[in-house]
Amino acid sequence: MNKECWVMTDVLVVGGGSAGTMAALEARKDGLEVALVDKGGIYRSGCGAAGNDHFLAVLESGPDWDTPEVFLKWYKRLTQGLVDIKIAEKVYIQRIKRLVEELEEMGIPMKDPGKEDYIRTRSFAQPGDYFINFDGRALKPMISKKAEQAGVKFFSQIAMVDLLVTEGKVVGAVGFHIRTGDFYVFQAKAVIIATGNATRMYENPSGLPFNTWHSPYNTGTAQAMTLRAGGEVKNLEFVNYTITPKNFSASALNAVVGMGGHLVNAKGERYVFKYHENGEQGPRWAMPWGTYVEEQEGRGPCYFDLRHLSESAKKHLIEHLLPVDKNTFMDYCEQKGIDPGADLMEIQISEGQHPAFLGSVSGIFVDEMCRTTVPGLYAGGACAVGIGSLAGSMCFGQSAGAEAAKYALQKPEILDPLPEQIVEIKQEIYAPYQRIGDYTYNDVENKLRQIMSDYLSISRSEEGLKAGLQELNKLQEIFEQIRADNGHDLMRINELSDLLLISKGIAVGALARTETRFGLSHYRRDFPETQDDWNKSTHLTYRDGEFRISYVPAYS
Amino acid sequence: MLPIKIDYKRCNGCGICERNCPGDLIFMDQATKMPVVKYPEECWLCGACRIDCPKECIQIVFPLISL
Repeated sequence: MNKECWVMTDVLVVGGGSAGTMAALEARKDGLEVALVDKGGIYRSGCGAAGNDHFLAVLESGPDWDTPEVFLKWYKRLTQGLVDIKIAEKVYIQRIKRLVEELEEMGIPMKDPGKEDYIRTRSFAQPGDYFINFDGRALKPMISKKAEQAGVKFFSQIAMVDLLVTEGKVVGAVGFHIRTGDFYVFQAKAVIIATGNATRMYENPSGLPFNTWHSPYNTGTAQAMTLRAGGEVKNLEFVNYTITPKNFSASALNAVVGMGGHLVNAKGERYVFKYHENGEQGPRWAMPWGTYVEEQEGRGPCYFDLRHLSESAKKHLIEHLLPVDKNTFMDYCEQKGIDPGADLMEIQISEGQHPAFLGSVSGIFVDEMCRTTVPGLYAGGACAVGIGSLAGSMCFGQSAGAEAAKYALQKPEILDPLPEQIVEIKQEIYAPYQRIGDYTYNDVENKLRQIMSDYLSISRSEEGLKAGLQELNKLQEIFEQIRADNGHDLMRINELSDLLLISKGIAVGALARTETRFGLSHYRRDFPETQDDWNKSTHLTYRDGEFRISYVPAYS
Repeated sequence: MLPIKIDYKRCNGCGICERNCPGDLIFMDQATKMPVVKYPEECWLCGACRIDCPKECIQIVFPLISL
């Protein structure tokens, strides 16, 4: 029989990645008890695992572009009014300068050693050089250490499954230890969810499902928990595709275009210019869109071309950027036999996913105080909509920590969870141990990916979307037959459960939105134009197994 | 498929690779006290296991279909 562990705290943070760790650190500043829970080891948890190379920052250093006004104006145009800019202003703009200082105080090298200035680059049609190029290999470990030193209580290797809701308020959350199988109940005055991106629901072009752009171990748990707790998520129909090296979904595009690299087709043409006047300096969506059309029309394969760059630019890219953002980048090049400075590097369109790239409009609906629509529940980072990118997520998390702490300080006592709710969730968690079904989580997850890629991927139609939704509902029934042999299996099964819910949300949103928007992200063959009367967000709630959709007009 | 190759002659059994792995792929064997890659097909190819290894005994070997 599994042990049952109860933990009482003031602020519970679910998700120990970059955003969650910042949330925990911030919430702790007022002396509250803070618990940080992650299914990994926390030290290098989340997408920040082995490092990052770009840090988005508006520093107000002098030039006109380096101001909140210019940045926010651009960001509003980028997100087409589907993101509330008030959030970006409060959680990001008001915090970023101080965050960069804090990281430098912690010893993170934001500047090259001996240099006075930051190295800053721009990409994706940004009006300014917002990306500080830095060595972020020690970033996640450093903030993890700071959180631990500050007295945040770490709970690693615990997969959180659901929120506890009493009288419409979030009072805690439950999960299990992925090695021992022990059951965990956390009670808290405020809960912050920060479990990051959602991926693994679309087929991977390499055939390896875990070879993903952002962490494959993030499967939309916060988004799914929010839906199950009565909260709201938005714009799930937009699925992000990016450009990565062939067969290896590594981050590289930002670094490549930021340093002036080119994208060329099999004929050597810089094809992005056909799809946007600024070519590789155009907005992010233009590159996967252009690559898609080129490949469809027989002018692929397509490539990164770095051969024309100066020696110093090549050196910076190949030594300080690519292997810092993706630790195994040079292993890939060496083992594939490519010299990126001298050879063309074949590229691909990545798997579909919900990452928090800068421009993302999908995820948990929160206000500028990081509050979800469920009292006591806060969200920040990639799982919520407000501001993307690593720096954005860290500020978002820090904000959520500050707001949740303020809320917790006001609340005199912790509401009790409902015993029957705990019993029900506990039964569901451990049910797979008892099943004698035919299916493993791999079987069912492979099927999910097939459904999503066949019916809910690039080039959608009403009939295809309806067929896809039907298949997803069928898959839900098979879900009850998946067996587990250990805590690792249970963790993957719960990830699959969250992915399935998110996937249904994608289908519902995609069916509703009868237009095309954001390039490949939501491309309806039957409604191929972007329409003004669709300048609005889809908002989903979930109750008794049904989705409900509402609309929020674009923010002006 | 074995993307994470550990040189057991150099490994000191510190367990940092197990702690760092975001995917729960690496398990310290109770008997041998050595790290075992239990779920190699779930590897993200991120390098977190290797980055802090004090003995530099981890190699990342890309599976053929990821090259």
